Amino acid sequence: MIDRIRRAFRSIWPEFYRQDKQHLDPYFTFTDYRKIWAIGIFVLVATALVPLLVITIIHYQLLQESVESELTLRAERLASNARRAVTFFLEERLDALRFTVNEIAYGQLTDPDHLAEILRNLKLGFGGLTDLSVISHTGTQVAYAGPFNLEGRNYSNQRWFIECQKHHFYVSEIFRGYRDIPHIIIAAKSFRPDGSFFLLRATLETERLIQTLSTYETGAHAEIFLINRSGIVQTPSKYYGDIFQKISLPVPAYSQRTQVAMAEDDQRRSIILGYAYISTQIADSPFILMVVKQKAGMMKVWQQLRSSINWFVGLCTLTILVVVIITCTFIINKLYLADKSKAETMALMEQSNQLASIGQLAAGVAHEINNPLALINETAGYVKDLFVLKEQFHQDDELIGYIDDILDAVERCGTITSQLLGFARKFEVKIQKVSLKEIISDVLVFHNKEAAYRSIQVHVEVPEDIPAIETDRGKLQQVLVNLVNNAFQAVDNGCILDIAASSAGVDKVRITISDNGCGMPEETLPKIFEPFFSTKEGDKGTGLGLAITYGLVKKLQGEISVKSKVLEGTTFTITLPTRIQKEISENEGSTG
Amino acid sequence: MKVLLVDDERKFAAMLAKRLVLRGIDIDYVYTGEEAIVKAGTQRYDVAILDVKMPGIGGIELERKLKELDPCLKTIFLTGHGSKTDFEAGSAEATCYLAKPIQIDELLTILREVAG
Repeated sequence: MIDRIRRAFRSIWPEFYRQDKQHLDPYFTFTDYRKIWAIGIFVLVATALVPLLVITIIHYQLLQESVESELTLRAERLASNARRAVTFFLEERLDALRFTVNEIAYGQLTDPDHLAEILRNLKLGFGGLTDLSVISHTGTQVAYAGPFNLEGRNYSNQRWFIECQKHHFYVSEIFRGYRDIPHIIIAAKSFRPDGSFFLLRATLETERLIQTLSTYETGAHAEIFLINRSGIVQTPSKYYGDIFQKISLPVPAYSQRTQVAMAEDDQRRSIILGYAYISTQIADSPFILMVVKQKAGMMKVWQQLRSSINWFVGLCTLTILVVVIITCTFIINKLYLADKSKAETMALMEQSNQLASIGQLAAGVAHEINNPLALINETAGYVKDLFVLKEQFHQDDELIGYIDDILDAVERCGTITSQLLGFARKFEVKIQKVSLKEIISDVLVFHNKEAAYRSIQVHVEVPEDIPAIETDRGKLQQVLVNLVNNAFQAVDNGCILDIAASSAGVDKVRITISDNGCGMPEETLPKIFEPFFSTKEGDKGTGLGLAITYGLVKKLQGEISVKSKVLEGTTFTITLPTRIQKEISENEGSTG
Repeated sequence: MKVLLVDDERKFAAMLAKRLVLRGIDIDYVYTGEEAIVKAGTQRYDVAILDVKMPGIGGIELERKLKELDPCLKTIFLTGHGSKTDFEAGSAEATCYLAKPIQIDELLTILREVAG
């Protein structure tokens, strides 16, 4: 299951991300496709997203500013209107008192019936008045009209009375007083003919004032109420303290005008605070009108809009990301594939160029060697002729043996030069029956001395029943020489080299050459048959031996493979047909 | 059978000629194409053994010139290049070739085959 997922994942994974085919790296136009891919995605995403995000942020700010400004404006308007209404409420009643004290003589005012008549008229004209009383300069209530029996009471110690002496008109804060009911006192001062003053005092119902304030539509997240200048709540507030309690907000600084400010309440909620110090034309008042709007509630609509915009922007961002990643991956992959194909062609061309150069070199060397070889051959041949044909020496087997050795060596050199030439050109495959045992022991003859000198043990295991194969002896010999040479170079003194032959099916044989030498890392294995690839240090290797070997094995219609582990050793396996197909070799010959 | 051997490798030519003489072949040898043409003008040969690569007139050109003198002349090419393709392109009739170093018995066989 995991494997299946892994395979599915690999199939959609872009090819350039796998970073295989490292041997092609030098031929690629661009080296780091992952980096190009990442930069491409970054640039495209940045180009697409930055304007979107900038516009979104600017839009947020503009929207927030406009919403806040609208809220501020509304709060200010509300506060101003409410201020006017409260001021008018007080002013109207103060004016009524002023008119009364100015128009009606003290004597008449102190007449309880007359006073009751005045109260009735005032109630009819303005409403909201509870009682009316006349207070002498000593603080004694000299006349009273109203529901309570308060006549004769002395107010000389009451704060409002003391305040009234200082000013002509007076508006009290809301207080309970003797009757223990919240009320407001307003008073107008006048003078009697003897110069002493008296006060006409009226009690105002707070309900009327509260009613006046409640007529202003504030909504669920805002409220409007009065406090006094010490911060005591005067009319009921939902959030900021009961009546006669200290308000949980700071008392705003004095200002003649209606003010609006952004603030935080005691529970750290953002609020818009509108306030106005209430003051009539003829008397100051202790009231501060408060309009408190909770920003979060008021901005709910805006927040919903912002949430919608966030979703939209998020969706756009996701879409852009997906589209950019898919497009970029597709394009970069196409680019990579094109580049890879170019790199493969270049690598192939370079390889064939290299092979052609080697071929030319080999052909040149072979040709130059062939001429002196031919001369040695003819000279030795002539000497032999002399011995054999002229009879006087033909009995000397030892001499003839030496000459035969020279001729054999020349023939072997001739084979080698032919094969050098054959590396560049197609050369006819010379088919003959070859005994594997024999050819292996022939090859090892070249290495006997070195093996003895370096104490390398060479084990050969060829079963007796293995049939002779029909192949090109010279080429097979060269293949074995190359592989044995290779093994000798890979092992240290005292190591072991195993050469074994066995049948591999009906019409194939297998030859393995194993050593317990230094081995090769796995990543180099795919490259070892490439020309000029060498693991040998410095200039020790030309990198041609295994490339030539590979070509020769292919020409013998065989396969060669290698297994190796570092520090454990290397095994080369050659599989050859027991009978080489002649047609193929002839075709090869004619195409050259 | 009268044979003409042309090869610029003087010692090789001389040695090969000596060996063939020992085997009863009537052979003349020269070192250049020019000498061969002169020689062929004075004497009729059955077979010419020609080195492919020679300074001056090369083996292929020499074969053509010799054939102009005697269309019945048979030729065997010697090459140090070990490949047939070089002269297959030059002459359709030249089927006999030998790569240096040559085996004397092989040469003798071919000589006899060519001469018929």
